Amino acid sequence: MADRIDAEPAYILHTYPWKETSLIVEAFTAHHGRVSLVARGARRAHSALKAKLLAFQPLWLSWFGKGGLKTLHAAEWQGGALHLSGRALMCGFYISELILKLLPPDDPHEALYRRYEETLAELSAADPQPVLRRFELDLLSELGYAQTLDQTAAGTPVEAGGRYAYTLGVGVSPAAPDAPVYAGGSLLAMAARDFSDPRTLAEAKQLMRALINHYLGDKPLHTRQLLLDLQAL
Amino acid sequence: MMHPPALAALIDALHALPGVGPKSAARMAYHLLQRDRTGAGRLAASLTAALERLHPCERCNNFSETPVCELCANPRRDPRLLAVVEMPVDLNRLEETHAYPGLYFVLMGRLSPLDGVGPRQIGLDRLLKRAQDGVTEEVILATNFTVEGEATAHYVGELLKARGLAVTRMARGVPAGGELEYVDGLTIAQAYADRRPL
Ligand SMILES: [Zn+2]
Repeated sequence: MADRIDAEPAYILHTYPWKETSLIVEAFTAHHGRVSLVARGARRAHSALKAKLLAFQPLWLSWFGKGGLKTLHAAEWQGGALHLSGRALMCGFYISELILKLLPPDDPHEALYRRYEETLAELSAADPQPVLRRFELDLLSELGYAQTLDQTAAGTPVEAGGRYAYTLGVGVSPAAPDAPVYAGGSLLAMAARDFSDPRTLAEAKQLMRALINHYLGDKPLHTRQLLLDLQAL
Repeated sequence: MMHPPALAALIDALHALPGVGPKSAARMAYHLLQRDRTGAGRLAASLTAALERLHPCERCNNFSETPVCELCANPRRDPRLLAVVEMPVDLNRLEETHAYPGLYFVLMGRLSPLDGVGPRQIGLDRLLKRAQDGVTEEVILATNFTVEGEATAHYVGELLKARGLAVTRMARGVPAGGELEYVDGLTIAQAYADRRPL
C-alpha cells in the first residue's frame, strides 16, 4: 500500500477548521474514493494552499500518510471548469453532501467519480431535476443500495402497464395497499436512466428520497432543506 | 495538569477564541497574569463595557453604541445603494477604499450548506425588511468569492429579486496591477468568462 500519492485527480467536497491553523479537507478522488486530508497551516492569512482548495473544481491533489487522516501537501487546478453558480451551485452542494454522508472513506469508486464529474458539468445546463435523480440512482446502485428496477425481487420482468411497490433491501414487489405505488413504465424508464417523462421524474424523486433517507439513518441532509427553501421563494 | 479553578476557567474562555488551541490559551493566560496585569485589567474592563454597550445597529446589523450607527445616520451617504457583506471586517475594507458612497447590511455570517448553516441561522429576514424600506434601489452583493459566499449571494439575490429589487454582484477578475504571468489560472479563466465589451 503506497503511502505517498502524487497528482491524484480529485474534487474537494468540503473543508472545515482543524486545530489552530489547519483545515480538514474532505476530497473525492478518482482512484482512492473519499479521503480525509489535513492541510496544515491552510487557515493562515495568505496561505498558498487555501486559495486552491475550491470545491467543484477539478484538482490534482498530492498527499502522504496512511490510515484515517493523511497530510495534503500540494493542490493544483486542472483547468477547464468554471465556477458553478446560482442554482447549479446549490445542487452541487447537495451531491457533495450525498457523497460525504453515504460513501464510506478510503473505498475506490472510479465509475462514481466520473459520474460526479459529469453531473457537475450537467448541472449548469437546463433543468437540474433529471440530472439529480440520475446521480442519486447511480450512487445508490454503486453502493448496492438500489436493487434492479426492471425485474421484480421474484425475478420476473417488470411490465410497463403494471403497478408495483418497492421494498427496502428486497426490490420491486407487488403493489401493496399501504405502500407507495410505482408504475411499471416509470421503473423501466428509471432502469434505463430516462427521466424525460414527468411521471417518471416524480416517482423517481419519491423512490430516491425513501432510499436515501433509509440509508442516511438519522444523519440530517442539510442541503435538501436549503434547496426546498430556495424553491419556495 | 491541575489548574486552580479560576485559572482553568480563564484558559477555557481564551480557548473559545477562533484559532486558539488549549496550549496557546494557557500561554495567553500566563502572560496576562504574570507579565501584564494592567493590560489584563484593561482587557477585562473593555470586554465588559463592549458587551454592555454594543448592540446590532437597527439598520445595518453592525455593532453600534446607538440604536442607529454613525454610518447609517450619515446624511451624506447615498441611501439608494445597499451593499451586503458577510462580516464587519468586510465593511471596513470597502470603507477604506472611499469608493463606495452607499449604505450597508452586515450578515454576520454566510450560508454554509454542508455545515447546516441555512437562511434561518443568519438574519435574512432582517435584511429583507431593511432592503424594502422604499428608498433602496440597488442591492450590491459583496459577499466573499468562496463557494459559501457565492451560495449566500445567490440565495440573497433570489430573495431580493423576487421582491422587485435591482440586485448586482461585485465583479471578479484579474487584480488591479495584475500581470497575467503571475495570476492564478482560475482567476484568469473567470476573468475571461466575465469579460465585458469596450
Ligand atoms: Zn448601521
